[in-house]
Amino acid sequence: MPGPFAGFKWLALFEDWQIFLEGFLVTLEVSCLALALALSLGIVGGMLGAAPNRFLRWVNRCYVEFIQNTPLVIQIIFLYHGLPHLGVTLPVFLIGVLGIGVYHGAYVAESIRAGIGAISRGQLESAYSQGFSYWQAMRHVVLPQAKRIVLPPITNQVVSLIKNTSVLAMVAGGDLMYHADSWSSSNLYYGPAFVITGLLYLAICYPLARQARRLERELEVSA
Amino acid sequence: MKKIFSFALIAIIAFGLLAAGCGGTTPAPKSEASKDAVPADIKAIKDRGVFKAGVKVDVPKFGYKDAKTGKIDGFEIDLVKAIAKKILGDENKIDIQGVVAKTRGPLLDNGDVDAVIATFTITEERKKSYNFSDPYYTDGVALMVKKASGAKSLKDLDGKKIGVSQSTTTKKALQTELDKLGIKASFLEFGTYAEVKAALDSGRVDCYSIDAAILFGYLDDSVVILPDRYSPQEYGAATKKSNTALAKLINDTLNDMKKSGEIDKLLQKWGLK
Repeated sequence: MPGPFAGFKWLALFEDWQIFLEGFLVTLEVSCLALALALSLGIVGGMLGAAPNRFLRWVNRCYVEFIQNTPLVIQIIFLYHGLPHLGVTLPVFLIGVLGIGVYHGAYVAESIRAGIGAISRGQLESAYSQGFSYWQAMRHVVLPQAKRIVLPPITNQVVSLIKNTSVLAMVAGGDLMYHADSWSSSNLYYGPAFVITGLLYLAICYPLARQARRLERELEVSA
Repeated sequence: MKKIFSFALIAIIAFGLLAAGCGGTTPAPKSEASKDAVPADIKAIKDRGVFKAGVKVDVPKFGYKDAKTGKIDGFEIDLVKAIAKKILGDENKIDIQGVVAKTRGPLLDNGDVDAVIATFTITEERKKSYNFSDPYYTDGVALMVKKASGAKSLKDLDGKKIGVSQSTTTKKALQTELDKLGIKASFLEFGTYAEVKAALDSGRVDCYSIDAAILFGYLDDSVVILPDRYSPQEYGAATKKSNTALAKLINDTLNDMKKSGEIDKLLQKWGLK
């Protein structure tokens, strides 16, 4: 009796492997671009959060609190279904990069702010005494030390960013999850489809997490 | 490096075991062993005293939940009642739960429902995974477009985007029609019917296509359903592949109802004829 994991369902999947490859590539592309955006936004946002200027800190709070306290799903749905009613129709790929990049940027910003906060004030003060400006002190003294502290939480963010690209499945984003959903729901061979899809996400995330761990160790030595 | 490989290996084995475990839990049919006794799948329903079925809650006339009363009603609910009467002698001993296209298969597989009677189109591919009864209704794929678009038929959708729902047969059916006309359109798939309608409203897709019966649930002032119907969709009652006795009983019940004219009466009651 054919269960959800019957052999012929696996064969059907391997015959249609291009569909999954296509989705895998879209997921990779969105992940890379969103990651670049998240890291840039995060670094800027984190420095704003630790800035002495009250207005800059306020900008940081607005960004972080608004993004962190609303679900990613709603943000994506707003970008996809909501914005067109306001006359702005962004292509779905861009929605992936923007939506996910901005969302994780907020988390990265919080990690970086925490990292900067963990560096003792004395470091900043001694940099001042050497004639550094605030931003110079950040760039040359504080951030290099904070890097070591923020790496582990940022690795977490990177991994969950990749997994979160699967929200695009909801808005016909053409990513890995979308193709897995679409393929498995037309023939109802959902068993193998989701196992393989899970393994493909693992194949991206696991090596990345390993690499980050190695980087952590190297920083530990040099610090 | 070694560690990476050993981890990957463990992960693959774990997934494999999971897969094998799930695959192996499908019970073998027991109906052959005891011909006189009640087959195990039907006995399970009798012991439980209630017939569990998956139905639609968002398809007017077929299975529709009234937002005010919370009551689910429709042609397919009446079919569920008729089957419950046949098995348990009481048409009210039913436990119906709403399903969407995507949950129909898994709910049958894990035994949450005994049968799915939810505008479930019979296809050869699906027959490999589930038992289907003979068709009890035939519908056609229809197209919904915005009134403002001015589209009158499928021909006007050349180069446009068509929104469809996942776990439906619409995409395949329409693709065949498009090929016949020699025109191209792209398909975007969404998880629920409401999401496709949202995509039509926001202009993400130019057309919403699905079985006519379902489409009527989403009709409003800004859109129009085109008169054409494509590729007949035959609806059947589905059961888990191993529940062969139940499948036969449901099929016999439905066929008896067809012969006695009861199905026709129900179709008239719901204005489907």
